[in-house]
Amino acid sequence: MDPLRAQQLAAELEVEMMADMYNRMTQACHRKCVPPHYKESELSKGECVCLDRCVAKYLEVHERMGKKLTELSMQDEELLKRMQQGTGTA
Amino acid sequence: MAAPPPSGSGEPAPPPLQYSLLLQHLVGDKRQPRVWDPAALGGIPCPPKSEEQKMVERVMESCPFKAALACVGGFVLGGAFGIFTAGIDTNVGFDPKDPYRTPTAKEVLKDMGQRGISYAKNFAIVGAMFSCTECVVESYRGKSDWKNSVISGCITGGAIGFRAGLKAGVIGCGGFAAFSAAVDYYLR
Repeated sequence: MDPLRAQQLAAELEVEMMADMYNRMTQACHRKCVPPHYKESELSKGECVCLDRCVAKYLEVHERMGKKLTELSMQDEELLKRMQQGTGTA
Repeated sequence: MAAPPPSGSGEPAPPPLQYSLLLQHLVGDKRQPRVWDPAALGGIPCPPKSEEQKMVERVMESCPFKAALACVGGFVLGGAFGIFTAGIDTNVGFDPKDPYRTPTAKEVLKDMGQRGISYAKNFAIVGAMFSCTECVVESYRGKSDWKNSVISGCITGGAIGFRAGLKAGVIGCGGFAAFSAAVDYYLR
């Protein structure tokens, strides 16, 4: 596939992916770190620390899963290519 | 026999999507660094905080600053408390030969000052210790509830009482933890 075309497609998909990830991350971290006892409007120190950790973990998970998925898809493509070559020569 | 479907002017079928290449552009090595704005991603638009504002907020929320604040507050409160109790509980200027002598103003003031300073130092140290341990415990746990003040009360009371032996340390831990729990319950 044309690398330029891949880059263009990736740029379009990236915005959607990042928006989705941001919304999910906000929801998940809010549910984990901010208990629904709203006695004051400011975030306390414990909640701030928890949110920092939550965001860092979420982003790291996102990166690792992405790398794993890239590996898996490369393996898939190798397999597909070998199968096609096999049926081509057969 | 159906007519063959009209083909475009010899254009080949679009190539299959190569996911690994796409993924490398999305999450892998070929990802371009971009500026992400929460307003564009679906958050509520708000002006970004300036570096000075962030630094000031970081300092104000830090543990040493909170400990220093508690220390100063404890000093002032202890001083006031000491002067107050000096006024109530006077045994200044007692002369065994002349029990009915009224103490001079200088003696009274000196006693008040000494007591005030002594109480102020104690309160300041206790306040700073309690605030520091509470902040550290809260940073470690990542939650803010009543258990933080109980744990830090136990640590502070234990540290103060431990100098007089293990049993005094345990009693101090329990007493101070109960006191902090009561204050927390009242404040929340």
